[in-house]
Amino acid sequence: MSLRLGVAILVTAGSAFAQIDLGGEWAATFHEDLQHRGGVRLGDYTGLPLNESGWRKAQSWDESARSTFERQCIPHVITYAMRGPANIRFSKIVDPVSGELQAYSLLGSYGRPRTIWMDGRDHPSDLAPHTWAGFSTGHWERNMLVVETTHIKTGWLLRNGAPTSDLATMTEYYTRYGNYLMLASFVNDPVYLDEPFIRTSNFVLSLTTSADAWGNCGPAQIIDELGGRPKGWVPHYLPGQTPHIQEFLDKSGVPAEAARGGAATTYPEYMAKLKKNDLDNHIFPPPAPGKSFPRVVSPQTSEVSGEITVLPVQGNVYLLAGAGANMTVQVGEDGVLLVDAGDGKATDKVIAAIRKLSNKPIRFIVDSNANPDHMGGNERLAALGRAPGGGRASDSAGPGAMVFAQEAVLAAVSAPSGQKALMPVGGWPTESYPDWKELSLNNEAIQIFHVPAAHSEGDSLVFFRRSDVIATGDIFVTTTFPVIDKGGSINGVIAGLNRIIEITIPKDWQEGGTRVIPGHGRICDEADVVEYRDMVTIIRDRVQDMIKKGMTLDQVKAARPTLEYDSRYGSDSGPWTTSMFIEAVYRNLSPK
Amino acid sequence: MTMRIAAAALFLLALGAPAAPQAPKTPKEAAPIDLTGTWVSVVTEDWRWRMLIPKKGDYTSVPLSAEGRKVADTWDPSQSASDGCKAYGAAALMRVPGRLQIAWENDTTLRIDTDAGQQTRRLYFDKSQKPQPERTWQGNSAAEWEHITQPGGLGVSLQQGPGKPGALKVITTNLKAGYLRKNGVPYSDDTTMTEYFDRLSAYGTDWLTVFTIVEDPHYLNQPFITSTHFKREPNRSKWMPASCEAGSSSK
Repeated sequence: MSLRLGVAILVTAGSAFAQIDLGGEWAATFHEDLQHRGGVRLGDYTGLPLNESGWRKAQSWDESARSTFERQCIPHVITYAMRGPANIRFSKIVDPVSGELQAYSLLGSYGRPRTIWMDGRDHPSDLAPHTWAGFSTGHWERNMLVVETTHIKTGWLLRNGAPTSDLATMTEYYTRYGNYLMLASFVNDPVYLDEPFIRTSNFVLSLTTSADAWGNCGPAQIIDELGGRPKGWVPHYLPGQTPHIQEFLDKSGVPAEAARGGAATTYPEYMAKLKKNDLDNHIFPPPAPGKSFPRVVSPQTSEVSGEITVLPVQGNVYLLAGAGANMTVQVGEDGVLLVDAGDGKATDKVIAAIRKLSNKPIRFIVDSNANPDHMGGNERLAALGRAPGGGRASDSAGPGAMVFAQEAVLAAVSAPSGQKALMPVGGWPTESYPDWKELSLNNEAIQIFHVPAAHSEGDSLVFFRRSDVIATGDIFVTTTFPVIDKGGSINGVIAGLNRIIEITIPKDWQEGGTRVIPGHGRICDEADVVEYRDMVTIIRDRVQDMIKKGMTLDQVKAARPTLEYDSRYGSDSGPWTTSMFIEAVYRNLSPK
Repeated sequence: MTMRIAAAALFLLALGAPAAPQAPKTPKEAAPIDLTGTWVSVVTEDWRWRMLIPKKGDYTSVPLSAEGRKVADTWDPSQSASDGCKAYGAAALMRVPGRLQIAWENDTTLRIDTDAGQQTRRLYFDKSQKPQPERTWQGNSAAEWEHITQPGGLGVSLQQGPGKPGALKVITTNLKAGYLRKNGVPYSDDTTMTEYFDRLSAYGTDWLTVFTIVEDPHYLNQPFITSTHFKREPNRSKWMPASCEAGSSSK
C-alpha cells in the first residue's frame, strides 16, 4: 500500500468516525410523564402549551373517533410517536457505492418508519404530501444529531385529542450519554400552541429488545367497530358537553384552568397562582367577545407567488399550482388533459409548464366549477388544443380542445344570443353533462362525478382510475373554510367530501394510495380529506345545535362555532371571511 | 509501504510542527459550551408531580424498591411544613420548578444557584479538591467536560477521528438523605447521582438540558432516569428567592 493511499484511508476513516454512533436498539424509560404515555387520561392537558384553539379542539375530541373506518389504521403521528411507550432502533443507511452515510433509519414506537436524510437534500415543496412520519433531514452539532421534520399530517401531542395541525414542524436533538440516549424534541405549531413544546425522552441501549415495526394495517384489516354507525359519522362533543373533563378534574384534583394547559401554566410563577387559587376554573369558559384568532400564514405560498409550481402527483398526473386555482395535468401518448385552466392571468407560464411535461396537444379540459380562478384560462388553453376525432360529423378532429363541465357551469358562464355572458364564448364549455361523464385518454379511464349543491351548483370530481388520483375542485381545499357559492350548501359540501372519502383508498396505515388534488392547497390523501370533513361536519353540527336552541345569527357568530379552526382556515378580510362562512352555514341550515 | 508506516506518517502529520509549550486551559477556558446565565424550568413533563404536591403514596413512575415504598408511605402530609429542604437536595433540585443562575465561581468551579429553595451547588473540576466530610443536601459534585473519543489501543485508534466535545458530566456523592418528590418519595444518603448538562437551541430559543441518573441501593430498584429542560432568560428580573428552611416565611 502506498503512503498516499494509507493516508487517504486514515483521513477518510477519521471523517467517517466523526459522528457519534447512535446505531442499535434503544429501550424507552418511563420514569417521567408516565401518565402522558400510553394510557393518558381524557381531559388531562397539563403541561402542554396549548393555546385557546388547541384546548378547545382537544375538548371536543371523542375517543370513539379512533374506531371509525377512516381512523382505525392511523399509527402514532411523529409529534407523539417518539414519546410513545415503545422501543426504537437507529440504523445507518449507507450509499453502496461511496460508502458515505446517506441517512438514518429510525424505527419503532408505533410510528411509521422514519428516514432521516443526512445527504444535505432540501425539504420538499410546501405543496407536497404530508405523512404521519413527516420528512426529516439531519445534521450533527457537536455531540448531537439534530433532526428537522416538516410535512407532518394533522395529528396530536397526546392520545387524548391534544391537537397538532398540518403546519406543525419539529426539531429534535438526539444525544448519547454512554449507554443512554436523550431525545429533546420541540414541536412548533403556531395554530394550536402558545409556544414550541419541548419534551425530553430517555432511552437505554438494549441488547435484548427489538423495536419491530408493525405488520400491515390497511383497508383489508378495517372492520365495523361501531355497530352500524352510518358512513360519514363524525364523533365529537359539542362545546360544554364533554363528560370526561369533569371526571378528570374530580379524580386528579387538578384545577380546571391548569388542566387546559397553556404556556403560562408551565412556568414556576404559575405555582403562586395555584396557591392563591387565582384561576378561571370554569370548565368550559365562553369565548372572549371580540378576541381575534388570526390566520397562521400557510406555507403554501406558491399559490400567491405568481410562480408556477409543477409537482408529480402519481402515475400520469401532475399538479400545476400558481395560476389561480390548482390545475391537474394528465399527460401521455394521446395528449394532455387538464382539470381546470387557472385564472388566465398566467397562461403563458402555464403553457410553458405544460410543454415541459408534454409536447402533445391539449385534448380535453374539465372545469370543476364555474369560478373565474378555475375557468379564466379556458379560452386560450382550449384554443391551443386540438380535439380528437369522433364518429359523428360534429365530433370531427380539429382545432380547439373539448371543454367539459356540468350543466350549471355552462349556464353560469354563458348567455343567450344578444345578452352579455360572464366570459367570452371561446371560454365556454363545449360539452356539458347533468350527472356524470366518462373519458378515456392516455390508456386511462377517467370518471367525472357531479356533486350537487356543494361548493356551488355545478361542482365535479374528476377521478383518474389508473393513476389513482382525484381532482376535487373547490369541494375540498386545504387553505380556507369551504367557500359556499351560489347554489352551494354546507350539507352538499359534506356529501361531496364523503364522496371523495368513498372513492379514495389508502395504501396502508391510512396514508398514501389514492392521491387527492384539492381546488386550492397541497397534495393530499384520504386522511387529509377526513380531517377536513370532520372539521366541516363539527362546525355544521354546532351551528345546527345553536339553531335548534333558537339562537340568532349574531348569537351564533358570537358563540364562535369555528374558533379552533379559525387560525388555520379563517379570515377576517378578503373574498371569503369566517363571518361569511358562518352566515352561509346558518342560512343553509335554518328552516326555510 | 506498509500500513504501519502509513499510520506512523499520519501520526506525525497529526502531531504537526513542534510548538512552544502552552499552559493547559482551565476548565473555564476549555468549556465547549457556555452554561452560564439565568435559566427557567419549563414544566411540560410530570406537571402534576412537580407543580402540585402529589398525594401521599403517589410515587408514579419512580422505581422505588419495597423499602422505598415503605418509607414513602410513612410521609405525613400534615407535617410537610417541617420537611424543610428535604425536597431540595441535589437528587431532586433540578426537577423543582424554578430558576437557575449558573456562573463560574473561579476557573475550576461552576456554581449553580436556585431561587426555589435558595440552594447552591458547586461543581468542582479540580480533582485535587478535598470533599467536605459532612453530608449535605447538595453533596460533593465532581465535574468534567466530556470529550468523546474511541477508546482502545493502536489497532482501534487507527480509525479514530478527532473526537467530539460533549456535555458537562457531574457525579455527586456525599448527599444527605432527602426526597425525590415533595410527597416524601425518599432517597437515601448512599445515593449517587450522575448528570449530563448540555445546551441546544430551537425555534430561536436557547435551552439547557440536564440528564440525570439517580442510583440508590436502598430505596430504588433501578437507576431513576429523568431529563429536565430550562429555557434561557435574558436576566434575573424574574428571580423569586424562596427559602426552603423549615419555618421560613418565604418557603
